Amino acid sequence: MRAKQIVIVVASLVALWLSLVIVKADPAEAVKTLFMGAFGSPSAISGTLRETTPLLFLGAAVYIALKAGLFNIGAEGQYTVGACFGAITMLNVPGPAGVVAGVLVGAITGALWACPAGLIKAYRNGHEVISSIMLNSIAYFLTKALVAGPFKGQGQLTPSTSPLPVQSKLTPLANIGGVEIPQSFILGILVIVGVSFWLSRTTSGYELKAAGANARAAEFAGVKTKQVTVKAMALSGGLAGVAGALQVAQFESRFYDGFSVGYGFDALGVALLTGGSPLTLLFSASFFGALNKGGTALAILGINKGITSVILAVVIIIFAVFRYAKKGEQHD
Amino acid sequence: MIDFLFQVLTLSAPLLLVAMAGYWSERCGVINIGLEGKMLTACFVCAFASAKFGAVGGIMIAIVAATLISLLHYALTQVYRVDHIISGMAVNLLAAGATGFLEAAGFAKESLPDTARVPLWIYYALAVISPLAIHWVSQKTRFGLRHRSVGSDPDKARLVGVNPQVVRFAGLVMTGVFAGLAGSLLVTETSTFTKDMTSGRGYIALAALILGGWRPIHASLACLLFGFASAIQIKFSGTPLFGIDIPSEAWKALPYIVTLLALAGLLGRQRTPAGLGKH
Repeated sequence: MRAKQIVIVVASLVALWLSLVIVKADPAEAVKTLFMGAFGSPSAISGTLRETTPLLFLGAAVYIALKAGLFNIGAEGQYTVGACFGAITMLNVPGPAGVVAGVLVGAITGALWACPAGLIKAYRNGHEVISSIMLNSIAYFLTKALVAGPFKGQGQLTPSTSPLPVQSKLTPLANIGGVEIPQSFILGILVIVGVSFWLSRTTSGYELKAAGANARAAEFAGVKTKQVTVKAMALSGGLAGVAGALQVAQFESRFYDGFSVGYGFDALGVALLTGGSPLTLLFSASFFGALNKGGTALAILGINKGITSVILAVVIIIFAVFRYAKKGEQHD
Repeated sequence: MIDFLFQVLTLSAPLLLVAMAGYWSERCGVINIGLEGKMLTACFVCAFASAKFGAVGGIMIAIVAATLISLLHYALTQVYRVDHIISGMAVNLLAAGATGFLEAAGFAKESLPDTARVPLWIYYALAVISPLAIHWVSQKTRFGLRHRSVGSDPDKARLVGVNPQVVRFAGLVMTGVFAGLAGSLLVTETSTFTKDMTSGRGYIALAALILGGWRPIHASLACLLFGFASAIQIKFSGTPLFGIDIPSEAWKALPYIVTLLALAGLLGRQRTPAGLGKH
């Protein structure tokens, strides 16, 4: 660890401490509340699992894009679109078949929503971050218009679909000592294992990593990097769409205006904080999930949830200084 | 008609100023996704400081705050060599979190009285003059030429004795100044700070910069296009067009759709500075 890295770690921690002092909160008390809010009781742990679940899928989604050298900030919009169309499908196809159909529709719509960003990046050299942020806003307005207009549930006062019938909802898989384990949580773990296997053991996964690591070299080796870019974006969007549809089936049981609370952005942090293997997504997603759940408990101390964004930013900065510093010849 | 044109200008002005902030950063090679965060910081600080130190003091402090955030981006990307996008996202996250959290804690809550606000026409005049002034600086002055040369090829700039780090430091200070102005303008218009009040303008400004080929005057024309899209939205929202009812959300999405189409290259060719993101 070099001196300048120590400087940024110390500076970040001082900044965090200062921000707590500004709002007259006791930092030790805040850390304790945060921890107990996330892990202090069976219901707190259930809440943490609930917050972690979408981040497993979204983290994997953003991770795939990241491995292809793309920043999929658009996960937020793909998640929203997947949730909206997934919910509409589940309302129209009854029973478990509806859940399966809804998840498929979520995957397809999410993938389609990611495509423009992939295409613009590959063939127009327009940065995917900006195009996908635009797509996020368009997704927000599109889904709002849908559930405020043609798909508004009967008797709903705010823009929202009707609630799903009971038989179309996913029930918790198990209840261990009061801790509810959602089915989609297990699915999320399987997806991460699958992504890990795909990236390390298949040709297409290898091509994706090659294109992300060095596009020119990959091109010379015969990888069609432009196609890989579009495919990676679509796959990433598909996973984000699945996350949205499952969020409806497992937890929310309807789609409404303001459905996403920023999981898509958290997912970028989740993906950035992974170590060498995609399996570490499990830890980073749990970390973000716990922070999200614990952050709400901080309201008791009069600390706004915004502090968790500050914590995340600080964690990302510290992590990036160590891990994502560009290795290259030092000038000057 | 005059009213409509004036509305286009007022809607474009914050975009114009933040696009100029982007120019100073991106044209010397520092990718700046963090414009949004710098602008939001300036909004918050301007609302907070104007109430205490008056109109001019408020702007000055907002500019200093935005500059400090801009220099954080400089430190992360140039000193620590963190990926520019990651640093920019961290800056945005930091700004969004910190301003939301401080606002909830009761800072910058009260609405600003007229005496604590700089007259809006000054901002609008600045928004009109800045692109022209920056064009002149970038074409005719030593600093402007060095600034562009670093963005085009940092290695060649280094060979002729220009230190890219120094030029980028100056560039990012200018980014802070313009982002500070842009944020102050937003707060001056509404006279109060609200959470996430920049609502994506930093990103739209970046798109405008891309569309304008990283040239100040062209970028400002692109900003006017987005301002025009917003003005159209306000004018036509809620009224049926050719007998068809268009949901207000479709109008609200219009500026973003225009941006996306612009990025898709339907409206112009790209001239990315060759040294963008390089060290």
